[in-house]
Amino acid sequence: MARLIISGVVVALLAGVAFGAPSLMSDYFVRILLIIALNSIFVLSLSLSNGFTGVFSLGHVGFIGAGAYLSGILSLTVAQKASLLPHLPAFMNWFSLPFLPATLVAGAFTAVLAIIVGYPLMRLSGYFVSVATMGFLIIVNVVLINASDFTRGARTFTGVPLDTSLPWVFGWLAVTLFVLWRLVYSPFGRRMKAVRDDTIAASAVGIDMLKTRLTAFAIGAFFAGVGGSLFAHYLGSFSPVTFYFAMTMNLIAMLVLGGMGSLSGALIGVICVSLLSELLRSVERGFTIGHITIPALFGASQIVLGFIFILIMIFRPKGIMGERELTFGFFRRSAKSQIKQGEV
Amino acid sequence: MTNINRRNALGLGLSTAFVLATTGRSFAADPIKIGFPANLTGNAASLDGPMLNGGKLAAAEINAAGGVLGQQIELVVYDTKSDATVISTVASQLIDSDKVVSIVAFSDSDSVLAIGPQIQKAKIPLITPGATSPKLPSQLGDEVFLACFGDNVQAAVGAEFALNNLKAKTGYLLTDIGTEYTTLLSDYFVKTYEHGGGKLLGKDTYKTGDKTFTAQIAKIKALPEAPGFIYAASLVDEVTLILKQLRQAGINIPVVGGDGYDSPLLLEVGGKAAENTYFTTHSYIGPGATPKVQKFMDAYKAAYKVDPENAFAALGYDAVKLMADAIKRAGVVDSAKIRDAIAATSGLDAVTGTISYRPGIAVPDKSVSVIGVKDGKLFLASEAAPSFVAEP
Amino acid sequence: MSGFEYILQQVINAVSLGSLYALVAVGLSIVFGVLKLTNFAHGDVMMVGAFTTVLLIGIGMPFIPALICGIIGAAFAGFLIERIAYRPIRNAPDVTRLLTSLAVTYILENFGILVFSSSPRNFPLPPALNDSWQLLDGAITFTNINILTLALTLVSLIGLGWFITRTTLGLGMRAASEDMAAAQLVGLDVNRLVIVAFVVASAFAGLAGVLWAAQAGVVQPQMGFTPLLKAFVAAIIGGFGSIEGALVGGFILGALEIFIVAFMPDAITPYRDAIVFSLLIAFLLFRPGGLLQPNREIKL
Repeated sequence: MARLIISGVVVALLAGVAFGAPSLMSDYFVRILLIIALNSIFVLSLSLSNGFTGVFSLGHVGFIGAGAYLSGILSLTVAQKASLLPHLPAFMNWFSLPFLPATLVAGAFTAVLAIIVGYPLMRLSGYFVSVATMGFLIIVNVVLINASDFTRGARTFTGVPLDTSLPWVFGWLAVTLFVLWRLVYSPFGRRMKAVRDDTIAASAVGIDMLKTRLTAFAIGAFFAGVGGSLFAHYLGSFSPVTFYFAMTMNLIAMLVLGGMGSLSGALIGVICVSLLSELLRSVERGFTIGHITIPALFGASQIVLGFIFILIMIFRPKGIMGERELTFGFFRRSAKSQIKQGEV
Repeated sequence: MTNINRRNALGLGLSTAFVLATTGRSFAADPIKIGFPANLTGNAASLDGPMLNGGKLAAAEINAAGGVLGQQIELVVYDTKSDATVISTVASQLIDSDKVVSIVAFSDSDSVLAIGPQIQKAKIPLITPGATSPKLPSQLGDEVFLACFGDNVQAAVGAEFALNNLKAKTGYLLTDIGTEYTTLLSDYFVKTYEHGGGKLLGKDTYKTGDKTFTAQIAKIKALPEAPGFIYAASLVDEVTLILKQLRQAGINIPVVGGDGYDSPLLLEVGGKAAENTYFTTHSYIGPGATPKVQKFMDAYKAAYKVDPENAFAALGYDAVKLMADAIKRAGVVDSAKIRDAIAATSGLDAVTGTISYRPGIAVPDKSVSVIGVKDGKLFLASEAAPSFVAEP
Repeated sequence: MSGFEYILQQVINAVSLGSLYALVAVGLSIVFGVLKLTNFAHGDVMMVGAFTTVLLIGIGMPFIPALICGIIGAAFAGFLIERIAYRPIRNAPDVTRLLTSLAVTYILENFGILVFSSSPRNFPLPPALNDSWQLLDGAITFTNINILTLALTLVSLIGLGWFITRTTLGLGMRAASEDMAAAQLVGLDVNRLVIVAFVVASAFAGLAGVLWAAQAGVVQPQMGFTPLLKAFVAAIIGGFGSIEGALVGGFILGALEIFIVAFMPDAITPYRDAIVFSLLIAFLLFRPGGLLQPNREIKL
């Protein structure tokens, strides 16, 4: 019962912020809030494979990009398609999908893509899977640049309706959190962690390693695709380089800082890194205005973030939260003990 | 926007009265704020940096001469890090927190496309000094103006220069498929060149960041008939390497390109290999420039201790001057009036040429300079308006 | 130009590109062999070497001494990185170490941007090195810097071969690469061996960085990234951790990249990088030990 009430309160609070914020806060803060929520969807979906299943993927942004492009193509009006994408195959050029269906299709597409890509790749482990998924990211980038009939190539993909608002992102964030929470703290979640912590023992007790990893990878990719669609409808225009290594680094830093085996850790990581970046960005700028002739410290924010990252790796390799969850004493206590068992 | 105006007017009135009463000097307290987001780090940094310097120089000159409408102007600068997400955040900072009245922004169309929807919604006019995609105004809306010519115009001038001045009836096309700018430039070039009777013997591509072009070059060498010239739709980093490797392979035919070449690196890195290269750009900056450009070069050198790095310095300067001119003609600090004043600009004598907008067209009619390289130096090879321009 | 000359020219191009990839990949493989670390910072060590050389040439030092100083500078940078960032996490899981190396990359690259700005700057190569040779009536060309690259690649690899087979330190390094625990057991100073491995690998990175920049004509803080990615592919094709493998992989990759552009239809050439990285994935899946170690076990 307590859980239900708490969930209700949380949902009401989120809804309040989502619908109330735009009238209370300046557009700037609304945008910061929106980007934090959007990055939370990305990082949560990343944590499923990288954190809970132990498959450290560097290719997640490839799914985000694929989702963004697909949703963008589906959402253009027929007239826009004719002018922006004149060579689009006939089966795609006669209709235009609203925001929600386009997002769902994008998610479904990236999930299927993840199954196809993951079927071979999920057999790998350790740095092998990291390097292989990095290869996937590069391949996605090359395809986005060259499949110009669909993506306009390296040219900016533009004209996507700006539908992404705070309620949309908070709504999808809530769905993501709910699904992942149910998944991670379920028997399947225990299988994921078992595969992560001891592959051989997990196989010995009859866990199908490939199936477990692949499921986690595909569900993560689904939400990456959904997030990509939200991102596309937030930016309105983007190009292949938007979905490449810079974004990958950013998401990984958020995930690792917060703690790879914890959903609330992922959220905390996103919030810390986002606020810190915004803060550092204005500090950087502070030196360039007025008559102070200190040379601009552009790039300083990235250096500070990098050092914090290394310090975390050395002194707190499991991130801020490690594998604990912030539950404020509610939800199943057993969640904690489950994780304890999972630890090596 | 009415709020801002009322507050500005009130502030102006009050402060003027206060200043007059206490010191007897007329000095407006509230400056006119013009947003100036720029990619000072990341991919576009080498263009936006000089552009910002040029803009600051123009603002300083305007302020030294008493400002506009009795007010000083202030450029509100942010680094947008060549990142679309940061650009959208900065746009909201400029619009909501800094309450800028207009914006001068960016040298690449990607970034202008990223900021466009927000300024369009807030009805704040934007002048881009250097984003040369002629499609921008139609893609975004009526608040967006270019201070530079469109890529279709410069590609057309490049094609006609090859046909008429170089007498090259056959050509070879090399395109960087890694950026919007080079892809567009290449498409426009083909249209004018083939319209003018030129024949392309072949086409090849590469991607921004490639270092080795020997395979592409060997293909050119293997052509049954040598082309009269090569049009390379490239950025300066790659074109210098292409030139070196071409010349090393013994191919000495002219290479023609767009304003992406306009950087000191062309001569520094290209060295002897840069000989017989021609590029279209906004204005000729260098020894023997027109007095107008020379004056700008001297002022830039005095302010920053370096010569203007490229034409984007001059474009940044021109865009701020254009904006100030429009504010002056609008008569009030009001975004809608300023927009109309920009659209009505006619015959503004700028460093990079004369700026006029035809009714309903936000890309100015400007002449294009063709610059050549000879004996390790740049020279003005031609200055022209094209006779056939491809549709945007 | 006849078909034969065209092919010959492309082979020369492939060897020239391949020798650069091989140099980078060898450094990566040395570190991977000893530490089982995928060192993303290797590309930035290349950048350190190249910038050192450029700055020294800028103050009037001739090319060859500046090159040597660049190598020393890179080696020193590698030493510092190992000491400060990698040693504290030497026994951490794979992923932690991979992430730390990513963070080091991030810091070095942005530090480079802060100090030197992200705009490329000219690499003042002596003009003599840019002179080209024309054979068969100009049908075949290559430059002095191509020859220098190939020569330095061969000399440095022969030196490396001598080092790891004839010196105590080198033998120790190889022992550590085969079995770190056993090396420790027989009384080898593992810390020292790891530092030696890093210094040697970073010296290779420095050399590769200078040559890469010399061929490109420019240096910039982000320059290490592309060669690093390519070197990963090369090292994995050859067999990650194996020096001979990295060498073979580098030349194979160089040949592959050139031949895709040279002989494939125009519709396919833009997909060059996709083909290369698909090959990487294929090797990881079907031959994780690479060409030279087909039977190596890999843990799942």
